[in-house]
Amino acid sequence: MSEVFGQTPVRVSRRGIFGASIAASSVLALASCSDDGGEEVDVDELSKGAMDDFAADSQFKATEPFSLSLLWTEWPELPITDSWQFFTEIEKRTNVKLETTIIPFSDAVEKRSLLISAGDAPMVIPIIYTGDENSFVSSGAILPISDYVEHMPHFQKYVEEWDLGDMIDNLKQADGKYYMLPGLQEVSVPVFTLIIRKDVFETVGGGIPETWDEMREALVKIKAEYPDSYPLADGFEAMSMLNYAAHAFGAQAGWGFGTGMMDDGSGKLQYTAVSAEYKEMVEFFRGLVADGLVDTDSLTAADDGSGGGSVTEKFANELVFAASGSNGTASDFAVALNETVGEGNYEVLQIAPPGGPAGMVCEPRNFWNGFMLNSEITESENFLATLQFLDWIYYNPEARELLRWGVLDETYTKDADGKITLNPEFRLDAFNINPDGETDIQKDLGWSNSVFADSTESRALKESYNTPTFVEYIDSVLATRTPRDPNPPAPLDELELEQAALLSTPIKDTVDTNTLRFIMGERDIAEWDDYVAELESQGLADYISLINGARDRFEEENS
Amino acid sequence: MVIDVMSKNPTKPANGGQRKTKESTGTRVFGVVNTTFLVLLCVGMLYPFITVLAQSFSSAGAINAGQVSFWPVGFNLDTYSAVMQNDTFWRNYGNTVLYTVVGTTIAMVLTTTYAYVLSKKHLKGRKALIGIAVFTMFFNGGLVPNYVLISSLGMKNTMWALVLPGAISIFNLLVMKSFFENLPKDLEEAAQIDGLGWYGIFGRIVLPLSKAVIATMVLFYSVQFWNDWFAAFLYLDKSELFPVTLFVRNLIAGASTTTSEGAAATGSTTALVSTNIQAVTMILTVIPILCIYPFVQRYFVSGIMLGSVKG
Repeated sequence: MSEVFGQTPVRVSRRGIFGASIAASSVLALASCSDDGGEEVDVDELSKGAMDDFAADSQFKATEPFSLSLLWTEWPELPITDSWQFFTEIEKRTNVKLETTIIPFSDAVEKRSLLISAGDAPMVIPIIYTGDENSFVSSGAILPISDYVEHMPHFQKYVEEWDLGDMIDNLKQADGKYYMLPGLQEVSVPVFTLIIRKDVFETVGGGIPETWDEMREALVKIKAEYPDSYPLADGFEAMSMLNYAAHAFGAQAGWGFGTGMMDDGSGKLQYTAVSAEYKEMVEFFRGLVADGLVDTDSLTAADDGSGGGSVTEKFANELVFAASGSNGTASDFAVALNETVGEGNYEVLQIAPPGGPAGMVCEPRNFWNGFMLNSEITESENFLATLQFLDWIYYNPEARELLRWGVLDETYTKDADGKITLNPEFRLDAFNINPDGETDIQKDLGWSNSVFADSTESRALKESYNTPTFVEYIDSVLATRTPRDPNPPAPLDELELEQAALLSTPIKDTVDTNTLRFIMGERDIAEWDDYVAELESQGLADYISLINGARDRFEEENS
Repeated sequence: MVIDVMSKNPTKPANGGQRKTKESTGTRVFGVVNTTFLVLLCVGMLYPFITVLAQSFSSAGAINAGQVSFWPVGFNLDTYSAVMQNDTFWRNYGNTVLYTVVGTTIAMVLTTTYAYVLSKKHLKGRKALIGIAVFTMFFNGGLVPNYVLISSLGMKNTMWALVLPGAISIFNLLVMKSFFENLPKDLEEAAQIDGLGWYGIFGRIVLPLSKAVIATMVLFYSVQFWNDWFAAFLYLDKSELFPVTLFVRNLIAGASTTTSEGAAATGSTTALVSTNIQAVTMILTVIPILCIYPFVQRYFVSGIMLGSVKG
C-alpha cells in the first residue's frame, strides 16, 4: 500500500540526509530501550472517563474530563492560538482537553522522529501517512492499534461501509498487526494528474484527451501551432507523470513505484520495471521526446517541491500547455497566466489521468493521513476513553463536519439536501469561500486545520468545500476511470526490511536512471535486455524471492 | 592594493628619465582582469540578495511568471504591511533579539575568561583544559542523547536550551587564546607590580587592549545566535518561543515541501506561502545582522588576523 502514498519524492538532499541521520540515531537509541510491546492490555481496567454505551454514530463525551497530549504541526500560514474555537468546542463536546506540542511544518518529520526516539512524544501523533509508521514498529514505541480497534465502532463501521477492508489488510506489518489508523476516504481520486490549457487543447488540440494516444495527437497539433513550445512538462523530475501514466500502461513508476513489486495477476508479485508493460510506457514517452513534444529540461531540473518554478513560467509564457500538478498547481498556473495572457483569455483544467493499453484505469484507491499512538498510552487510566475520543474525532461524520466547517447553525448551515453553506459573516480563505466574511473559520477559529480536517472524508464532505472545477474533476475520474486493485500484501519482518532496503536501493537507482535515459533518448531502446541483465546482476532475483517469500508467508498466516 | 594599482596610470616620464617600475602591460592587464573578476564575484554574491529584495516589492503574479530579476515588477508595499502586521513574526523577532543578546553576552563572558586562563602558560592543568575544549570539536554525544540531556536538565522550552549549549565556540576560543598569548607580558607584569590582581589585570588592562578581537567575537557570536534555527527546532515546542529564523524556515522550507509531501493535495488547505511574502520576511530578518557589519568591519580584519600570526 505504501506506494499509494508514495507521493514524497525520494531525493537526496540536506533534508534527506538530516532525516536519515535522525532515523539512524533513532534506531541506535531505540535498540537499547526496545521492549516487545506485544502484550495486550486489559482495556477495561483503564476505562476512566470512557463511555459504557459508546457506539457508531453517537456523540462521545468523556464521563470525567481528561487531557490528551497531541503533536501539532504548525503550518507557516496558520499559527495556532489557544483561543481557537476549535479547542474550546472540542473540549465542550467531549470533555477532552487537547494539549499540544508544536512542531514547525518545515521539519515536522524529523522532529517527530526525534520525539519518538527520545521517548518524549505526545500520546497522539497525527498526520501519519501509511508507511510513516514502519520505522518505529520494531522499537515498540508505537501502539499496535489493530489490537484495540474493537473499541472503535466508527472506524469499523466506515471500513465496512466504504469497502476498505482489503486496504486495511495492506497496513499489516509482518507480525500481522497494524500500527496506524488512516484517514478513510469514501472516494479517492489521484491528487496529481495533468493540468492543461483547456482553451488551447479545445481550439488547437482537438479536444480534451481521454487516452495517452489522444494526448499524443493533441500535443502534435499544438506543437505545429506553437513551434517553439515543448507542450508537455513535469516539474517533479518526471516522477509525477510516470506515476499517473504507469497505471494506464499496467505498470508502476515514479512516485508510485513503491517497492517496485506489482500484482502479476496470479496473486504473486512481479518486478514492474522489467515488465513488458513498463517497457511499453518507456517507449511511449521516448517517442514523445523524440518528436519534441516534451519539455525535457523540466524532467531533469531539480524538483524544488512546487512543481518546478520554471514550469510555471513556461506555462505562463505558452511554451508548455500540459504539466503535472495538483489542484493547487492549477491555481499557481492561473495566477501566472493572469500576468502574461491576461485574465479571461485562458482556461486551466485538471484532467483525469489519460487511459492507455491497460484500460481506463487510475491508481488504486488510497487512504489519507491518520494517526498513531505512543505505546505509553497503555499506562494511562484514560486509555479506553482516548480510543473512543479518537474514534469519534477521526471517524464520526458529525465530528468530521465540525472539523471542516465549525459549529452547525453558528458558522454554517445545512439544508434538507445536505448542502452546506458558510454563514455570510464567516469566510474560509484557504478555499476562497465567502471572501467578504469577517471571520476566517480556519485562521481565526481553527476549523479546517490540516492536522485533523483533511483525514477522513465522505464524498459529500469532500465536495462541500472544493471548487466546482475540482468537484467536476472528482466526478469525471469517478465516472470514467477504474481504480486499480491494491497489490497483494507482503509485509516484511525487521531483518527482511533491512535486506530489502539493501537490495532494492541500488536496483531502484538503476531503474530510475535508465528509465529517464531511455525516455530522453540517451540510451538505445535496443539495449533493454542489457538493462534487465544489469538489474539481475544487482540481485533482482533475490529481491523478488524475498518479497514473494513474505507474500507466501502472509497468505499462509492469514488464510 | 588593487585600487592603488589601478589608479596609478603609468604616465610617460617627463624628461624621458627613469621609467616607473614595471607598471607595464602585464600589471595593467592583471589590474583589469582582477577588477573584472572581483566585480563579477561581487555581482554574483549580490544577485540573489537583490533578486529577493526586488521580489519583496513585486506582485506574486509577476514573480510566478518569472518577470522579476533586478527590478520590482508590479511595485507594491502591501506585502511589507501584511508581514509587519503578523504578530507571530514580531513575537519571534523579539525572541531572536533576546536570544542573541543574552546568548552573545554569556558567550563573551565565558569565552574571554576561558581563553585568558588558557593563555597563561604557567597554569597547572592547562593542557587538560585545552584538551577538554578541543575534544568537543571532534566528538559529540549525538542528536538523541543531546536531546535527552537537555530535556532532563529541564532546559526544554526555555531560552537556556538555545544559549547555553553553544556558549563556547572552540574556534573562537582558540583564536582568542592566541590573541591573549600575543599580548606583551611586560604590560601585565607592570600592572602586577603596581598592585593589580589577576581580575584587575584582566578587566583593566587586557580587555581594553583587546577591543579588536572582542568586536570580532561579538560579531561571530551574534551572527551565530541570530541565524541559529536548529537548536530552537530541537528544544522548543511552543511557537511563542520560536526565534524568527524558525519562522522563516517554516515559511520557506515549509512552502517548498508542501506539494511534494502531498499536503496541499486535498485542495489548498495549506495555502502555499507566496514568494513575495517569503522575500519580505527574509529581508526583514536579514537587515539587522547586515547592519552590524559596517560598524564592526574596522575591527574585523585586524581582529581575525591578530591571533593568527605569532612572533
